[in-house]
Amino acid sequence: MTAAATFFPLQNGETVLLPERLADLTGLGEFGVAGELLAAFIAAFIVANIMLAMTGVAGPWAKRKITASFTDRIAVNHLGPGGILIIVADSVRLLSKENIIPENADRPAYDLAPIVIAGSALLGFAVIPMGSGIHLADPEVGLAFVFAVAGIASIGLVMAGYASGNKYSMLGGLRAVAQNIAYEIPLVVTGMSVVLFAGSLQMGTIVEAQAEPLVTIAGVTIPSWFALVNPFAFVLFLIANFAEVGRNPFDMPEAPAELIAGYQTEYSSVYFVLVYLGEFLHIFLGGAIIATIFLGGPAGPGPAELGIVWFIIKIWGVFFLTQWLRSAIPRVRIDHLIEIGWKGLLVLAFANLFLTAAIVGVIA
Amino acid sequence: MCMRFELPNVTEMNDWIAIGALALVGLLIPLAMMTVSYLLRPSVPETSKRATYESGEVPTGGTRIRFNIQYYMVALLFVVFDIETVLLFPWAVVYLDAIESDAVSLLEILGPMVAFVAILLVGLGWAWRSGAVQWAQTPRQVDDT
Repeated sequence: MTAAATFFPLQNGETVLLPERLADLTGLGEFGVAGELLAAFIAAFIVANIMLAMTGVAGPWAKRKITASFTDRIAVNHLGPGGILIIVADSVRLLSKENIIPENADRPAYDLAPIVIAGSALLGFAVIPMGSGIHLADPEVGLAFVFAVAGIASIGLVMAGYASGNKYSMLGGLRAVAQNIAYEIPLVVTGMSVVLFAGSLQMGTIVEAQAEPLVTIAGVTIPSWFALVNPFAFVLFLIANFAEVGRNPFDMPEAPAELIAGYQTEYSSVYFVLVYLGEFLHIFLGGAIIATIFLGGPAGPGPAELGIVWFIIKIWGVFFLTQWLRSAIPRVRIDHLIEIGWKGLLVLAFANLFLTAAIVGVIA
Repeated sequence: MCMRFELPNVTEMNDWIAIGALALVGLLIPLAMMTVSYLLRPSVPETSKRATYESGEVPTGGTRIRFNIQYYMVALLFVVFDIETVLLFPWAVVYLDAIESDAVSLLEILGPMVAFVAILLVGLGWAWRSGAVQWAQTPRQVDDT
């Protein structure tokens, strides 16, 4: 793999981020700091709404349809073509429900938890390059930032679990912490093996490094996506990611058969919407990290303007995989979860890191 | 900030302004949804509607009691390994650069980090043997640790 030699020096010459592009298009850049702030705000609003639209489609509609096809059912089909208008109906229904606050609730924390869960998941998308020029910010610490922000969600889960004053919620919140501390380290260490190839934490640079051709078979050039360069790390990262976002087979924090709905048992109305939204945003954030550091970000066949399409296909691919596992794989038991994390994944993650380091060192 | 080549007619902006803007949007969207819901939803207070949900039974006992959360030792291990991942980040970033510049040999850059992680893994092995990395412990294991 001689391509590694061309990964350096760091070059980020052509990257124009979304706020800058907006500032130039609208002429806001001429208004100094106020114009910059407004351009950044509009850009952030666009990025947030792209992701909200995805969760809107995924939560009330796609999830039901996918699970139904796996279990030979039809699911929503009354409103609109394929039942797609259930999205509107469900949003109105849930927002207009009475908000029942349980009598044992610890008030400020109970009200803040849904905001923390939804807001933190949204914040992670700031550094994700979505293609077609939709990239909000590209700081040098991008990958560390996205891991840090994704970790905030577990604070929200503990707040929700403790503040509800419900025994099921409490156990769900505690399980969420157990799970996060068992899988955060394998996740970060596996992500680090990508940094060894790219030599940077900056998302733009990591994506650029994956544009190098790996091999050419019969005229088709295969790019050096890190999933192809290092498939072992890719599989490890996928597993750790499912545990991090709390999806099957690692969905103990909610475990409907044991804990009703875990930390969200006592939430109703708009609070439930926010917690549910946060969960789906978190799945998509996991998908976006996987797409960016392992699947070449917005890269794909065709012109560069199609970037956003490829990015959406990739994150929906990861979402589809979570729903597939949900239908196909039984839940891991909580004591097994700790053992899989600490005795299995952690050791494998370090083995992968040093094996990758040795290979990069010998080749470079 | 970022190493960017100056392009004509393109405004350079600080990345953290945009990230701060998204944090603000991430706060405003939930608040807006809460406001919409506040305007739409009914309020019908009834007796025992607000009771804690315990599968339809009358709730018994308090929730915030002291009990064994089973992973205290695991949480301590997490703190150690979490700090260690922070130390790994700068090493991983300079790794390729250092190798390619031929300033240091492979052994010089890989060796110390392998030794450092090996010490931590020996610690993990010890915790593993003494049963700390387990959800449920037998009374004998609890006495030992």
